[in-house]
Amino acid sequence: MAETLLLDRRWITRGAERASTARFLLWLAPWVFLLLLGIYAAGLCLYYGLNQTNMDNRFAFGLWIFADLSVIALGAGAFFTGFLVYILKQEDLKPVLNSAVVIGLTCYSGAVAVLMVDVGQPLRAWFTFWYPNTHSMLTEVTFCISCYLLVLILEYVPILLRNRQLRKVPSFLVFEHQFHKLVPVLAGVGAFLSFFHQGSLGGLYGVLRGRPFAFRQGFLIWPSTFFLFVLSAIAVGPSFLMLVTATAERLTGRQLVQPSVFRKLGFISGVLLAVYVAAKAIDTYIWLNFTTPRVGFGPSDFYSYQPLSSTFLFLAMVPFGLIPAVLLIVPFTARRRGLLLLAAVLTCCGVLLNRFVLTVQTLALPTLSFDEFLKYTPSWQEVATFGAVIAYGVIVYSLSYRYLPLFEAPKGENKHVSLG
Amino acid sequence: MFPWVDGFHWTPLHITFLSLFFSALILVVSTFISGAWRTFKDFRSNRAIDLCWRAEFAQLPEAERCCRHQLAGRLDARICDNAFDCRSCQKYPEFAALPARLPAGNAGIGYDDRLLYHRGHTWVRPEWDGTYTIGLDEFARHLVGRPDFVKLPAIGADIASDGVAWRMRKNGHEIRVRAPIEGTVMCRGGDGEGWYLNVLPHGTPNLRHLLSGAEVAGWLTGEIDRLQLQLAAPNATACLADGGALMPDLMDAELRADWDTVLAGTFLDS
Repeated sequence: MAETLLLDRRWITRGAERASTARFLLWLAPWVFLLLLGIYAAGLCLYYGLNQTNMDNRFAFGLWIFADLSVIALGAGAFFTGFLVYILKQEDLKPVLNSAVVIGLTCYSGAVAVLMVDVGQPLRAWFTFWYPNTHSMLTEVTFCISCYLLVLILEYVPILLRNRQLRKVPSFLVFEHQFHKLVPVLAGVGAFLSFFHQGSLGGLYGVLRGRPFAFRQGFLIWPSTFFLFVLSAIAVGPSFLMLVTATAERLTGRQLVQPSVFRKLGFISGVLLAVYVAAKAIDTYIWLNFTTPRVGFGPSDFYSYQPLSSTFLFLAMVPFGLIPAVLLIVPFTARRRGLLLLAAVLTCCGVLLNRFVLTVQTLALPTLSFDEFLKYTPSWQEVATFGAVIAYGVIVYSLSYRYLPLFEAPKGENKHVSLG
Repeated sequence: MFPWVDGFHWTPLHITFLSLFFSALILVVSTFISGAWRTFKDFRSNRAIDLCWRAEFAQLPEAERCCRHQLAGRLDARICDNAFDCRSCQKYPEFAALPARLPAGNAGIGYDDRLLYHRGHTWVRPEWDGTYTIGLDEFARHLVGRPDFVKLPAIGADIASDGVAWRMRKNGHEIRVRAPIEGTVMCRGGDGEGWYLNVLPHGTPNLRHLLSGAEVAGWLTGEIDRLQLQLAAPNATACLADGGALMPDLMDAELRADWDTVLAGTFLDS
C-alpha cells in the first residue's frame, strides 16, 4: 500500500495489511468522543459525589456494578486461555492468546476504573488495602482484581514490546524474549487469582442473608454462587474471545485465526456452559425448595414482579444456556460459523443476564412486608461512564490490533528438506 | 495489612488471607525482576545481539528465510532454521557437498566472485593485513543511491555479526545495516570510498555463513524478484520481466513506493 495512505506504516508490523490512517482515525473518532464524554461524566461524579447518579442507600448497586461484573466475566477469557495454553498445553489456542490478554486487560482495567468512580474518594482508595476487612468477599475481590490487573499489565508488556519500532531497541527485544519465557508463571498466578475473584464476586451476593433472592447455601465459607460465577466466567470467556475475534475479522475483512481454533474455543465454552446450566438448575432447585422456605419466602415472592418475572429465569436457563451449549458442542452446528457465533452471542447474553439479575433484581425485590418493588433508571452520568468503558476497550483493542502482532501464526512451520 | 497497622488481627483467617495475597504479589514482582535480570545477564555476556538477531529472523517471511543451498540449486526447497548461521549448522557439510545446479553468472545485477556476501546486502573482502573490509553490495547501492546521512561506529568500537554495523538515512527512512562479521573497527570509509568499514576480527574468523559463487547469483535473482513485486503498482496484473538493468538511485526515482517495506526486506529488518 502506498505510504501516502499509511502515514503510520513504520509502526505497523511488517507484512501486515492495515486500513489507511485516515480510515482508522475515522473509526476511532466516535469511540474517542464516547470516552471523553464518559471521562467528563466520571469527573462530575468524583467532584460532586454520587448524587450525580440515580443510586441511593436502598439501591446501592446499579449499572456500574452490573458493568463491573459483566466485563470481568467477559474478560475471563484472558486467564482461562492462558491456563489452557501454558498449564494444560493446548498449544493450538496460542494464536488467540495475545488477543485474549488485550481483552482481559481492557476489561479489568475498565472495571477497576469504574469501581474507582463508584466507590468515590479516589485519594483514599488505598485504605481498602491498608485496612483490609478479611471477612468481606469484597476485600478478596479488591485484592485479587488489583493483583490480577498487575499480572495482565505484565502479560501485555511482551506483546507491546513486539511493536515494530520498540523491537528496534535491543534491550526491549531481549527483555521481551526473556520475559516471554516466564509468562507461564504469570498464567499460573493469574488462574489462581481469577478463580478467587470470579468466585468472590458471586459469593458477594450469596452471603447476603438479608436478600433471600440472592442468598445461597454452599460449601464451607463459600455459597454456591461462588462456584457458579467461576463456572459461568470460564464458560463465557472463550465465547467472548471468539466473538471479538470474529468481529475483528469482519471489520478488517481478513481471516485472523483458523476455523479449528474457533471450534475448539466453542467446544470448551459449550462443555463448561452445559456444566454451568446443570449446576445452576440444581442450585435453583435447592434454593427454591429448601433455602428460601426456611426464611418464609416462596417462588411467587420473587417471580411475580414485572418485568423481572420468571421469564428471566427461563431465558437464562434455556435460550441463553441449554441451546447455546448444544450449538457449541454438537459437531454439526459447531462446524457452521454462523451458528457457532450465534451460540457465542447467546452465551454472552446469558452471563450478562445473570449478572443483571443478581445485581438489579436482588435489590429491586422487596424483602420486608412494608417494602415496595424498587425501580431504578441509571442517570446519564452512569450511562456515559459505562459507555466510556466500552469505548476504552474498543480503542485499546483497535490500537493493539493495528500496531501489535495480536494474531500470530504458529511458528515452526519449516518446510521439509529435500536433497536435490 | 501489617502488624503495626490499625485493624490487623493475629487470627488464622487474617494471616492466611494476607499470606496468600503477599505470596501472589511477590511471585508476580519477582517474575518481572527475573526477566529484567536475565536481560541484564544477556547483555553482560554478549548474548543480547544474537538473541535480537534470532528474534528478528523469526519475523522474516518464509520466502526470505530460504537456505543458501536452495539458492545454489543444491536443494529443491529448504527454509533455514538457524538464523542464517551456517557456522553452527549441522547439515551444512552434507548439503555443501552436493553439486550446485544453478550456474553463477547473470543475476540481473553485478557481483564480485572474490567477495563474500551477507544476506543483509553487505560484502566482505579479506585484506593482506588480516583485516576485513565491509561495503554495501550493488543491489543496496542501486536502491539507496547516495544516503542523506551515514552514522558509522567509532574507530575502536566492536561490531557483532548480524548486529547493527552502521545506520544510514535516506528520504526520511532510517536504514540499519547488519554487520556481516564481528570485529573491531579499524578504519571508516563511506559511500564515496566504495566501502564503509574496515574491521579486525577477534581471532581467526569463520566466514562460512557468508554467501559466495552460485549462491550469490541465486540470492540476488530472488532479491530482484522481491523488489519487482514490492514496487509493482497495487492491483497490477502479472507480467513477464523483459530483462533490463536495475536503475540507480531507485529511492529518489520512485518516491511514492512503500520504501518502508522494501528496506525492511532488503536489510533484514522486521
